[in-house]
Amino acid sequence: MIMTIEKRIPRLGIGGPVGSGKTMLIEKIVPLLSAKGYKAGIISNDVVSREDADRMRRNLATQQGLLSEELVIGLATGGCPHTAVREDPSMNLSVIEEMESKYGYLDLIIIESGGDNITTTFSPALADYFIYIIDVSGGDKYPRKRGLGIETCDLLVINKIDLAPHVGADLAIMERDAKEVRGDKPYVLVNSMTGQGIEQVTEHIIRDILFEAAPKTLAKT
Amino acid sequence: MYMSTKDGILDINTADLSMLQLSDSFFPTGMYSMSNGLEAIFYGGKKMKAQELREFVATLLQFQIGPADCRALGNAYENAAKSNVDRLVEVDRTVFSMKLVKEIREASTRSGTQLVRCIRSFSDDKILCKYQEAIKSGQASGLYPVALAVAANAFSIPKEKTALIMMYSFSVSIVGAALRLGMLQHFDGQKIIDDLKPTIMMVIKENINKPLESIWQFAPSIDIIQISHERMNSKMFIT
Repeated sequence: MIMTIEKRIPRLGIGGPVGSGKTMLIEKIVPLLSAKGYKAGIISNDVVSREDADRMRRNLATQQGLLSEELVIGLATGGCPHTAVREDPSMNLSVIEEMESKYGYLDLIIIESGGDNITTTFSPALADYFIYIIDVSGGDKYPRKRGLGIETCDLLVINKIDLAPHVGADLAIMERDAKEVRGDKPYVLVNSMTGQGIEQVTEHIIRDILFEAAPKTLAKT
Repeated sequence: MYMSTKDGILDINTADLSMLQLSDSFFPTGMYSMSNGLEAIFYGGKKMKAQELREFVATLLQFQIGPADCRALGNAYENAAKSNVDRLVEVDRTVFSMKLVKEIREASTRSGTQLVRCIRSFSDDKILCKYQEAIKSGQASGLYPVALAVAANAFSIPKEKTALIMMYSFSVSIVGAALRLGMLQHFDGQKIIDDLKPTIMMVIKENINKPLESIWQFAPSIDIIQISHERMNSKMFIT
């Protein structure tokens, strides 16, 4: 018998290599979601520190007041970031269930994986939608090299596009290869530092995960 | 279910397989993310030899897991077998009160809750359902030793073998953490697990049939190490 979860809040998984910009992507999309009335909680799976969770808490909660501080939770992964979001997501699921029971008004829970290799994927039990983020400084070969993350994610984000000329990466090649590897599945070119492309990512989230439902807190009033 | 042959009955059954399933590190309880204080020792600068690591695990088994979790497991198993949910909840609450360190308490609760959730996805065992309802309603917390006992009862795994699952899984999680911290070589880890076997057997024998009222745990120096882990800014492990 399959157990159903009451009051299930949609879940967005964000994975990608170390330094690809997972944390900053979250820091950029949460304000856009918040401006439209959507409230998000965040679970950050750090590999060796709580730095990412602390940074997001300070930025998004303490400084910008977009969510309360307890809605940014850091989780250690025992040195196995892919295990924590794929083979054995039990610790993440426990935290999500705690969030669902305490903060039922949330529209979205964002789960950031620890920085990992290109085989990272999210367990379907953990994330309803999976964004994989890479950056151009890894070289324009990245999409062509495939890997489960790049191939199977719902949305591929190619970040730091402003650096392309400085690292000898050809964005046209990356786009061509992303299309070839992913077929019809979408990708977005992004510069998280300037916000370029972030609106598009947010639109994907609202359309493809939230199904353009009205924010819960606005719907009640 | 026993497997029979022309020559008689083979001494294997599905409960044995269930035992392997529940003790496999592949089973999703999140134990791979727990070091039970070992990470705090490592980052405290202590260079631990294999023998010292074995003693660390043995101390945890003898003074924390044995008198608290193993006794709770034995009592939970008996009450699950008798379908006594009220008493099962009492065991849950009692072992919860033994978990002095927040990280350790939360890790056990999350492991146990997810274990119940996983087994419920393919078992309609009555007492398992009731225990899950008690967790959902907040009557019980879903600690690992109680959850494991209820799951094992559902699979007809004998009580003593259920204790073996818990002690073995616990030992492997710490040795695994030591390997990932680079404290050991992989063969050293297996030798430590082998060396721990007599301790595991002794601890189960001493604790599995003790009444709930006799539950205790006392390892203050390890409590302090586990508390110091909570305060670490940089860590790989949940505990």
